Amino acid sequence: MTNDVIKEAVAKQQSGDRKLAADNSILGKVMTFNIGEQVYGIEIQYVTEIIGMQHITKVPHVPNYIKGIINVRSKVVPIVDIRTRFGKPEIPYTSRTCIITLNFNDIAVGIIVDSVADVEDIHTGDISATPENKNVNTNDFIQYMIRGEGDNTKLILDVAKLLDEQED
Amino acid sequence: MAKIEPGMEAMLDMYFFETNSLLEQLDEILLRTEQANAFESDDIKEIFRIMHTIKGSSAMMGFDNLSVLAHKAEDMFFVIRENPDVITDVSFVYDLVFQVSDSYKAQIEAIQNNIGGEYEQMDFDELTDKLIKARDKLNSEASGEAAPAADAAPAASSGSAPAPAGGSDKVSVRVFFEDGCQMENLRAFLLINTIREECSFLEFFPEDVETNAESSKEIVEHGFLITFSANDDRDYILKQIETALNVQSYEVVSGNDAAPAAAAAAPKAEIPPEPVQELKTEKPAPAPKAPAKAQPTNQPTDQSIEKAQAAVAVANANAAAQQAGGNAQKQSLISVNLAKLDALHDIVGEIITTESMVISNPDLEGLELESFNKAARDLRKLTSELQDTVMSIRMVPLAGVFQKMNRIVRDMRKKLNKDVEFVMEGEDTEVDKSIVDSLQDPIMHLVRNCMDHGIEDDVNDRIYAGKPEKGTLTLSAQNASGEVIITISDDGVGIDPDKIMAKAKRMNLLTKPESEYTEKEIQNMILLPGFSTNEQVTEFSGRGVGMDVVKANVEKCNGTIIVDSKKGVGTNFIIKIPLTLAIIDGMEITVGGLVFTVPISTIRESFKVEPDQILRDTGGNEMIMIRGVCYPILRMHEKFGIETEVTDLMDGILLLVETDNKSICIFADRLIGEQQVVVKPFPKYLSRYDIKSEGLSGCTIMGDGSISLIIDTNTLIG
Repeated sequence: MTNDVIKEAVAKQQSGDRKLAADNSILGKVMTFNIGEQVYGIEIQYVTEIIGMQHITKVPHVPNYIKGIINVRSKVVPIVDIRTRFGKPEIPYTSRTCIITLNFNDIAVGIIVDSVADVEDIHTGDISATPENKNVNTNDFIQYMIRGEGDNTKLILDVAKLLDEQED
Repeated sequence: MAKIEPGMEAMLDMYFFETNSLLEQLDEILLRTEQANAFESDDIKEIFRIMHTIKGSSAMMGFDNLSVLAHKAEDMFFVIRENPDVITDVSFVYDLVFQVSDSYKAQIEAIQNNIGGEYEQMDFDELTDKLIKARDKLNSEASGEAAPAADAAPAASSGSAPAPAGGSDKVSVRVFFEDGCQMENLRAFLLINTIREECSFLEFFPEDVETNAESSKEIVEHGFLITFSANDDRDYILKQIETALNVQSYEVVSGNDAAPAAAAAAPKAEIPPEPVQELKTEKPAPAPKAPAKAQPTNQPTDQSIEKAQAAVAVANANAAAQQAGGNAQKQSLISVNLAKLDALHDIVGEIITTESMVISNPDLEGLELESFNKAARDLRKLTSELQDTVMSIRMVPLAGVFQKMNRIVRDMRKKLNKDVEFVMEGEDTEVDKSIVDSLQDPIMHLVRNCMDHGIEDDVNDRIYAGKPEKGTLTLSAQNASGEVIITISDDGVGIDPDKIMAKAKRMNLLTKPESEYTEKEIQNMILLPGFSTNEQVTEFSGRGVGMDVVKANVEKCNGTIIVDSKKGVGTNFIIKIPLTLAIIDGMEITVGGLVFTVPISTIRESFKVEPDQILRDTGGNEMIMIRGVCYPILRMHEKFGIETEVTDLMDGILLLVETDNKSICIFADRLIGEQQVVVKPFPKYLSRYDIKSEGLSGCTIMGDGSISLIIDTNTLIG
């Protein structure tokens, strides 16, 4: 989803016009997954597939969050551990640990998540922009948020930034 | 600046391919004939055909300047074809045609580099002028020798000569093309060319079909009028017209056997019955607006109007059948997009991996599977055959590159005024297409260097040194155990190690004391970036950007280059290239939990080490003494930061690897075995990290589906 769509959705919610504010059309689908207690999401068009944890071949001379490469049906795919990427402590992989392979602009990457949760619709009325404050560590990778019931807010990852980011 | 016509982009690839291969063919013929110093009539015909095809396709693509250029060259060759003895100044013709060929290449490259955007339209006026002058000159020489045909035919295409009137055996035919087939004028022109050979007299209207696109309108409306008299068989020509591509129908408007009837036919058909030359003088006017009426099928049968409205279907079927028949005979080659071959190659690679996954599946362990094993053996045999075939598809002979060098040597021979014989050996050696492409530049550079710096400037120097007056430049290729060895050698002055040393010192390129350099090392210093000993920068070389680029290019395809020279005797450049990039024979080794693949071609030996072989220098670096030679030891687990239990040199294994005359011992946990592996590049996402410069060139998927990293011995040592 482009940033304009998000802005538009947010603007609609805040506009005085009731009709606009009540617009709750579906903008797309996200796949949600858990890291620790937090629910994250990735828009479904970037997701290629979900595979179980498997042996990862280490590659030297890369940052520690790149765990290595795996073979997905004869394609070599690099694996990023989202936990490490976000500066969270590593936990042992369990039977629920999954690799989600993503494809963005022909760059394929798999990310390791604690567990996969669900696939759900994105409603216009649920979208929140991220706070302007950029001090938070993980803020860079969050494109927008989806409010759920209670404090069940899902953070939607910005795949472009996650995969394309330039190392300093 | 000009743009490519919309709608033509799809055909561009084909056009480039075709034109480039034609130009290569042209060069080849020219070089061959120049050496023989005579044009065979077959060669002239071939050149004529090449120019003609280029002209047609360029016009079709809308590259007018190219089309005109080819046209003028064609004109010139027309004169030569008619009067093979006319060429008095052979080299002058050759230079001209080479210039044409070069201009072509330059323009096509310009277009190729700007597909979709604007390209610079080159100005060939000067060259076309030269061609016209050359033609006229040849023409006048020819007419002196009284060759009547020489005039008439070029005139027919340029439309300037008066047509001889009369002639009782003339036939006029009005040809109509299929509706909407487009570019009628060029089709008409092509038609004219197919029948030209058979005709002793030929005229057509509109006469400017070749150059004037507007004339196609005229043709659509009124048909294309051809008047000809056949050499021998009139019906044969009519048949040719009938079966020509896109011709819908034709009608004979006047014929020798029906000359009086032509007048009678005219009113009915409302076609002016005048002889064709009158049509010419009055230009477009006389063609009336009634071609449709001239065409109706219910016309009374008249001898002069042989209605030959051969049903389109029949004509087309005929043409198709002819084409198919022709194709079966001569078309044993097809051009294929390289991307498709790459895809095929990838799939075969995957099949091979998958096959070993199935056959050595752990689930099968301990089972007695007699018929499975038999089937597996058959499968393996077939897949390896498949792999060989696919590899061979990508293999192309080096001849194309070699031919280009021939051309370069020829040009430089003239420019530098050096008498050099160019010898090619093993040009039919085949290598992977991608390698051929990246080898062309380095070879060209080396050839130029040999011509420029290698061969002596002064013949007397050669005589004084006891060498034959004529220098020799040899370009050879040969297959040797999975490698192609390309040697470029000259018998010139050779490399002076003292000069190189002095220069290297001046430029601060030395990395160790002067006295420690061997002669070989000194010679190979010319491959360092920024090194050029030639004081004078010439058109051909001397800027110092050459040799290191050569080296980089060769290394890009995993090859190596060695300089071997003897002062006063000559210089050899030896390039070694693996046959193909994608599949290598590898030795699998483990370090900790990781598997690495070391290219077998770089391994000299592997061995267990004895404690007394190990030496340590003052920095604590480990070294090993083998047969009196000392090699540094590189511990893989330290280099790549891998945890392993095998840290004692006595427990693991050492591999002596060598590239570029540099050797090192790498220390690994143990050997697994030999395997053919399909090289895969690292994923794009990892390309921003420094993996490649750290001694890893890619990865490969092994039989059990796990991944192994391929060691790049070159960067590992460096």
